[in-house]
Amino acid sequence: MTLVGVLVDLLVVVTALCLIASVVIIGPERLARLRETYRTRLREVYPETGVLVAILVVNALVRDATQNISWLVGWTITPLIARIEGGFVIYLQSFANPFFTAYFSRVYVYGYVFLLVFPFIAYAALDDRPVLRQLIVAYTLNYGIGLVCYILFIAYGPRNMFGEEIQSLLYVAYPQYQFLTTEVNVNTNVFPSLHTSLSVTAALLAYQTRDVYPLWAPIAAVLAGSVLISTMYLGIHWLLDVIAGIVLGVGAVYLARLYTDPGQ
Amino acid sequence: MGRETAEQLSLEIKTPPTDSDPLANRIANHLAEHLTELGIEALVNPIETEELHRQVLINHNFDLYVGQFPQLFDFGPDLLYDFLHSSFAAERGWQNPLGVTDIDLDELLERQRKTTGTARLEAVFDLQHRLADLQPFVPVVLPDSLTAVRTDRFTSWQAANPTTPLGLLSLDRADESAETLRLATTDPRITVNRNPIAAEFRQYGTLTGLFYDPLVRFDDDTTVPWLAETLDWSSTPTAVTVQLREDLTWHDGTPITAEDIVFTYRFLGDTTLGEAENPIPTPRYRGRSTLVDEVEPIDERTVSVEFGDITLAAAEKALEIPLLPEHVWTEQAEIATLVGIEVDGETTEALIWNNPEPIGSGPFRFESATEGERLELSVFEDHFLVDNEPTAIPAAFHSGPMFDSLEIEIVASDASAIEFLSAQEGDATVAPLGPDIVPGIEDEPEIDLIASQSHAFYHVGLNLRRDPLGNPNFRRTVARAIDKAAIAEDAFLGYADPIATPFAGTRWLSPDLEWNDEDPARPFYGENGSFDSEAARESLRDAGFQFDEDGQLIHQPQEQ
Repeated sequence: MTLVGVLVDLLVVVTALCLIASVVIIGPERLARLRETYRTRLREVYPETGVLVAILVVNALVRDATQNISWLVGWTITPLIARIEGGFVIYLQSFANPFFTAYFSRVYVYGYVFLLVFPFIAYAALDDRPVLRQLIVAYTLNYGIGLVCYILFIAYGPRNMFGEEIQSLLYVAYPQYQFLTTEVNVNTNVFPSLHTSLSVTAALLAYQTRDVYPLWAPIAAVLAGSVLISTMYLGIHWLLDVIAGIVLGVGAVYLARLYTDPGQ
Repeated sequence: MGRETAEQLSLEIKTPPTDSDPLANRIANHLAEHLTELGIEALVNPIETEELHRQVLINHNFDLYVGQFPQLFDFGPDLLYDFLHSSFAAERGWQNPLGVTDIDLDELLERQRKTTGTARLEAVFDLQHRLADLQPFVPVVLPDSLTAVRTDRFTSWQAANPTTPLGLLSLDRADESAETLRLATTDPRITVNRNPIAAEFRQYGTLTGLFYDPLVRFDDDTTVPWLAETLDWSSTPTAVTVQLREDLTWHDGTPITAEDIVFTYRFLGDTTLGEAENPIPTPRYRGRSTLVDEVEPIDERTVSVEFGDITLAAAEKALEIPLLPEHVWTEQAEIATLVGIEVDGETTEALIWNNPEPIGSGPFRFESATEGERLELSVFEDHFLVDNEPTAIPAAFHSGPMFDSLEIEIVASDASAIEFLSAQEGDATVAPLGPDIVPGIEDEPEIDLIASQSHAFYHVGLNLRRDPLGNPNFRRTVARAIDKAAIAEDAFLGYADPIATPFAGTRWLSPDLEWNDEDPARPFYGENGSFDSEAARESLRDAGFQFDEDGQLIHQPQEQ
């Protein structure tokens, strides 16, 4: 299965998950209303969406260039991280079994994308508060701050550091995902974990909207928790990357709240 | 100033990340673990191959590194001349990156250039003993080079190193409709930089060897006159008259003349062509450029090369360097500037140039490249193997390349490379595969595995400029903290041999340094995979090192 195959596969799975979740979590009533109001909703978040798209495009364009700048000006922190946290990830991987590997690999790829994409639909269907805007601003902050950190800090994940003691479980079990991850990431960009920070962002917003989507809050919490563990279980991230990711995710939600709701 | 307080010795081991070289990474972790048990703070620092080469070879910014010697096959004593001779200690590149300054080594390296037969062999044996004593680098294992090939489109893959230029040229076509040979590699550097003299971007120079032809190629021990049609040797002093084949041209159509040969040797010795106060030689091929004393043009396609006081056997290796076109490279002879500011007066444009569209004279010419993804080459119609003109072509290459174009696809991992071949999208892999992938290849009936001995031995390099790595007693203990046999068995799954000398696996091997169950010179402290750190500590104590009550090796930090 090549890159195209993996992408089609991902698209099909995430679309299916979003459809099911839309019916079950958002409900037919709101969905029906969304069909009439989505244009207005989108118009309201044009500027913020523009900035998010711009950041994503810039990120894609300069990824290779920033890599070179990073080696020039960045701080190589892999040995420091390893010294601080030691073999935590090795310990975590000692619980590895085929079920966990299958579960966490799928969560890392499908669950994560679903957790990030579904809120767009869910919050577009909320017409009485600006959560969609908060979501977009928070995602933007995650990517923007993450990009700066990736220039400042050069760190390899545990799978690139520990030789035989850590396995790249994701790629050993599902080598096809490597087509995808090499396309969207660079292996020195691990501090902080954006998988973690974006998942935490989605989960916090789910908690914030639990009165309207009572079912989404626990689902998002479980998914986000699983994504966090998966990044370490699969040998991709350090515990410190995850902690930094949590801080970034919480900070992004807080700052986005200040932006959309300055009165609070 | 009062006395500096002593603190725990801290050493950093630089290595490629697992994604690029899992085997080097495992050696680094193995060593770090044992040094830690010895009371040293040992930190593994994974660094991208290109950047690692820059930090180690160009900037000499390292304590220890794990890497491979940049020679895939045809290893000989003169290749250590650049690597170890003290006269190169101030230069940058593969010439003396470790900062070795040992008069005995110098003398032996020079002697093997000046002697033949048993006298040369004895010099090489003595050289190995001196290296075993000094341990400026610790030879660890000699790996097998693993290549995966399909045989449904192309056959006659060589039994050793099938994807070198000579290997590819001797392929036969099994499927008449196959016009493009498709190779996969995990090393993306060739898609970024195609400069044959840039040390950071080259591993063995196999791929740039497709673009750039030398005067002579070596096939095992046979000398194959390549761009040279005839070689007329004379002795005392050693000299050769080289006559080029008729009507040779560069890829851009410019004729190749004797002046290009004169230029190449001059340029390798000083890429500023005499413009700077001190010469800036190339970071690769340095030793071979010092073999040559004088190159004089005789006519349009004849040169005479004088070698001074060295033997023919040492001298002919100087003819293996890639020829560079004068009209392209003279423009790169200026001191490099960064946005108009001279960087540090230490480098020329030629050394940092990416050479995006290489103009060589090799059998393949550059077509296109997409960074990180793909490189496309086509057969060079005017090459002497291809142009149907009658020339004295070595029999094995009579038919010329059996394909019209060559594609090199960058893949993310060995597993992706095998998937690429199994999906019939590729014909062979280029970069050596890791042994972990072997079971995956055995599951694929259409893919064959070719294992050939590589001479790119894995070693741990120590920066002798840094305290306490300048101390041979310390280096010997480092050498004895590495369980080479266990690494060959566990990390390389047996696809490697533990070695005590870089000459293992060659006819130059000193018999008493042949591996026999353990390292004959610096045996591992411990047995059955367990490290006897107490024995290692004892040897360090004997050498004057001190440990504190927590067992940490303490060390007076020096002003750097």
